[in-house]
Amino acid sequence: MTDVGQAVTAAFRDEWGRVLAAVARSTGDLDLAEDCAQEAFAVALRTWQRDGVPDRPGAWLTTTARNRALDRLRRRKVEAEKVAVSARLTERLDPDAADPASEAADAVDAGTGWAGVEPEDPDGDLLRLVFTCCHPALPLEGRVALTLRSLTGMTTAQVARAFLVPETTMAQRLTRAKRKIRTTGIAFRVPPPELLRERVSAVLAVLYVLFTEGYDAWAEPADDVAGAEERRALADDAVRVARLVARLLPDEPEARGLLSLLLLQHARRLARLGAAPDVAPRTLEEQDRSLWRHDEIADGLTVLDDALAARRAGPYQVQAAIAALHARAASADETDWAEIAALYDVLVDMTRSPVVALNRAVAVGMLRGPEAGLAELDDVASAPELAAYHLLPAMRADLLRRAGRPVEAAAEYRRALEQVDREGDRRLLSRRLAALRTAK
Amino acid sequence: MRYLMLVLSTPDAPAEPVNVPEIEDWVRDTYGTGRAILGDRLRPPADAVGVQVRSGEVVVTDGPFSETKEVIAGFDILDAPDLDEAIRIAAAHPMAHTGAVELRPFWPLELDGDAAAAGSDAEAR
Repeated sequence: MTDVGQAVTAAFRDEWGRVLAAVARSTGDLDLAEDCAQEAFAVALRTWQRDGVPDRPGAWLTTTARNRALDRLRRRKVEAEKVAVSARLTERLDPDAADPASEAADAVDAGTGWAGVEPEDPDGDLLRLVFTCCHPALPLEGRVALTLRSLTGMTTAQVARAFLVPETTMAQRLTRAKRKIRTTGIAFRVPPPELLRERVSAVLAVLYVLFTEGYDAWAEPADDVAGAEERRALADDAVRVARLVARLLPDEPEARGLLSLLLLQHARRLARLGAAPDVAPRTLEEQDRSLWRHDEIADGLTVLDDALAARRAGPYQVQAAIAALHARAASADETDWAEIAALYDVLVDMTRSPVVALNRAVAVGMLRGPEAGLAELDDVASAPELAAYHLLPAMRADLLRRAGRPVEAAAEYRRALEQVDREGDRRLLSRRLAALRTAK
Repeated sequence: MRYLMLVLSTPDAPAEPVNVPEIEDWVRDTYGTGRAILGDRLRPPADAVGVQVRSGEVVVTDGPFSETKEVIAGFDILDAPDLDEAIRIAAAHPMAHTGAVELRPFWPLELDGDAAAAGSDAEAR
């Protein structure tokens, strides 16, 4: 690749989100902003070759993208005026209706220009972009895809490959999400204070879904699962975006809680699969802890301490604290199960989630023995949310196995195998079931 | 932007809702600030009258067309700068606490691009 090609690629990775966010704020139209940002990068590829790479590539790209947006808005305004004339004839148009795009074009025409309407605020723009892409009025899969596309600069084709759907499906998913932003009047801004707490949770939830999508792929053999490399990369992308969001929201300890949780989990990725011939996932207990990325664990622990210092605990900080206890244990036997079970008590209180209660039962099983764990598990098993959840029979099977009840354990592993949809978990369950048979 | 706010009564109303706002306060705050333009309660579904024209004949039927568990109990037309403001208004309505509220953005006829896009969506389904 040429130097210019590398410069554009680097700018794409580092600046895409900022360029997109700046134009989206100017125009209030994410779709338009995306088209113009894309054009700006195409122009860069041509002109940087001729004129050299500018000192501030990001600023150059933003200005170019904005000028493109301006051209389009002017054209749109001329057309809108034509439409308005005919609409007035039929008295359909609301004369007071405000259109941010035409207002922006008006401002430029009036000579105030972009600079007059908006001082530079790259971080603020990025934050507005994050909240817009993660607005809870959008369908969840649209939020996840749009966040990825908007903040990482991944192309629609790349996003499609990572989510294992055809490119046309992904293009439609993104288009619908962007259209809903426009048609429902989702403003390109940070939510007002009374909505902020909920919206921060909504953003963090999207990032966690994104991370999990990638992290699951680390428990699948890369060679025989389609798109595994692309999916695995999603975990890195999620960590990057979580780091950005944590920086942009310094007053929200939960944002740092999520970043810490992702760092601590992601640090285990290289230990999650067993070596050939048995390429199946290794549980925390079985993992070779020397394969953990201890530098990333140290980073995650620092971020967690920083979050906890604010003394406003939340579910992500508690989950990160649990992950930290696993990360600090030199071996599985040295895990502080008493502390982990206590943290799960806190987490159950905070979330009222049956899935969390299930994990708590496992921790109790490690602390007070498998029969105690089974009793806890039976207490939550009837929750309707767990009806088709493969980890319910899988966890019961593990507890039964530890309790020395292999026949019942095998039946539960088989039940879990009927419900599982993830390749990694399927292999793990098959391995457990096979091990029971040989032990008999 | 304008939104039709449908006020729905739902069968799964919480037994003891807490901190339910007073409707008088909501009306004062919303209509008083010009955020709502028009609205009212609606008579129950038993008083609904269906009208269709088929083969040139006006066919009048008794009751609503769709039997849903949610009943449209009232409506308001909101004029809000953006969706979050409309959400804030909707969340302050007592029925958001005891039933449900649905916001439907207006779709003015001049947005021809949207009409075309919605058409292609329908084909894709």
